Amino acid sequence: MNISIDGKDKLCHKLLDNASMLIFFINSEGNIVISNKMMEAITSKSKEDILGKNWLNVLYRDSNTPIKQQMFRAVMENTMTYKRANNFQEVIVDDHNGEKIISWSITPILSESQDLEGVLFAGNDITDLRKREESLKKIDDTLKNIFSSIKDYALYVTNLDGNITYYGMGAEAMFGWQKNEIIFQNLSLLNPEEVLKSKLPFLLEQVRQKGKYELEIDMLKKDKQSLPVILSVNQFLDIEGKLSGYIFIAKDITEKKKLEYQIFQAEKLAAIGQLVAGIAHEINNPLFVISGRLELLLSKKRLAGKEREALDIINSQASRIRNLVDRFLRFSRKGILKIEVINLNEAIDNVLPLLAYHNLHTCKINIEKDLEKNLPLIKGDLNQLQEVFINLLLNAYQAMPEGGSIRITTAKISERFLEIRISDTGSGITQGNLKNLFMPFFTTKKEGTGLGLSICYNIIKNHEGSIDIETQVNEGTTFFIRLPFIQ
Amino acid sequence: MSHKVLLVDDEAAVRDLFNDLLKKEKYSVKCIATGEEALELIKNENFDVVLLDIKLTGMNGVEVLQKIKEIKPDTVVIMITGFGYDEDLIAKTREFGCSGYLGKNMPISQIMSNFKLFIKTVEDKKIGKQLKPGL
Repeated sequence: MNISIDGKDKLCHKLLDNASMLIFFINSEGNIVISNKMMEAITSKSKEDILGKNWLNVLYRDSNTPIKQQMFRAVMENTMTYKRANNFQEVIVDDHNGEKIISWSITPILSESQDLEGVLFAGNDITDLRKREESLKKIDDTLKNIFSSIKDYALYVTNLDGNITYYGMGAEAMFGWQKNEIIFQNLSLLNPEEVLKSKLPFLLEQVRQKGKYELEIDMLKKDKQSLPVILSVNQFLDIEGKLSGYIFIAKDITEKKKLEYQIFQAEKLAAIGQLVAGIAHEINNPLFVISGRLELLLSKKRLAGKEREALDIINSQASRIRNLVDRFLRFSRKGILKIEVINLNEAIDNVLPLLAYHNLHTCKINIEKDLEKNLPLIKGDLNQLQEVFINLLLNAYQAMPEGGSIRITTAKISERFLEIRISDTGSGITQGNLKNLFMPFFTTKKEGTGLGLSICYNIIKNHEGSIDIETQVNEGTTFFIRLPFIQ
Repeated sequence: MSHKVLLVDDEAAVRDLFNDLLKKEKYSVKCIATGEEALELIKNENFDVVLLDIKLTGMNGVEVLQKIKEIKPDTVVIMITGFGYDEDLIAKTREFGCSGYLGKNMPISQIMSNFKLFIKTVEDKKIGKQLKPGL
């Protein structure tokens, strides 16, 4: 196809006018020589108002934006001086409809002898794009803010290899790891080994198959303490909908677990109490008859020595059963409390000398007391409460065969409750034993019946109080008894 | 003086034992299994002491105690208790005028000495009552 020079010129103008970019060309004086339709549209100016006019005056409707104009001028002058192309983004061109953001590419046009003939400007209107970016950024910031603000839940995301790619503030608070310590680290930091081996692979397999899964598991804090959580895991999909990682949301259920355990424990103990009471009741008559008949036999004068000896043994074994059942019952009994007004500080002071009657080892044990002056009075059964203190103190002694110290404190801890703490520096209690601590018949002692602490538990419960424990193996144990005081 | 004792317990072995223990101590003893039968007997016969198990088949000990106190208010009633007995029930018998308790969970020697002590206390009171008008 042959096109005349004139035709070529026309075609060039047609191409320029159809381009979706702003295009104009200035001479070395800075006046616009060529411009296209898009320029007219964006600046809302006619061809006459553009051609032959200074480019800055055309682009900027007024001189309200001197800094922007200066910057643009500097870029343009740089282009002219160094005869080098430049890109300049976000120049704001005023028009009647408001500001436009244009991404410019500025190219020096040189003659064959490398003299500057002028500068070509080609610009893309990126106003809408930038607005979209800004609103996306806003959404992104809001989302980040929301995720960061969630403190009750730990939110973290991993890639398919289990490396952490997002870690929120809730997670920082829950696990103790700071974001900068753990980001890009492996998930294994947050999970104990047995979970990593079995539960976690199972969990992730379920997530891959079903899209999401929820599980109650123990996680690991930075300080190596275990943390019970409900962990709910979702697939993390990329833009194309392909699985690219996992979203983890963990909720700390320590308190819930504690409460559940207490309820479970209370129900279990209540059930055992009923059972024991039932059995004890059934033992009454046969044991009574056995003992009575023995008594009658023993009162006979003509008994061979061997026979008397045998009957004595039977008798002492029968009374052993009687004592045992009596102790069981003390655990199970709802108990009629002999209620009186009690000063617990005095009650504790009076208990300490009683310890001397028990068979205690002779190692050096210091007893420190820190009893709050003006401790509120309570209503309760003095004998029963003293039994609790004796029991706990004896346990403390027995936990320190090599000596140590016992610390007893009393304090008002709220508007309703006061607290007695009994701490020792003894052997502590293992996690395994801790679970069964208040269970009747559970004992770690050779000669124990396993009823002491279960009786304590019941006595404190009958006083509408609570008994709790903190323990560390080889460091010691603290019992916390909380009782309501007289208002 | 030999006291007439009525024992009410629903288990034969317990009745037999009490029978032997009390007879050995020279009490005159009659044993019976239910509260209903006991009340029939008490209507027609005087007993110094009734030993009454709180847990009985049929009428329970508390109801029987109440009825005895209606029919023969002067009868001394001693309740028999044991391991795991309902403590609320025991507390009630106090209101209805029982004179004391013997626990099957106590050693036999203690049961017998307590029994004798109750009888003595009651006798002393009776003598006190009889003496009072003359004082």
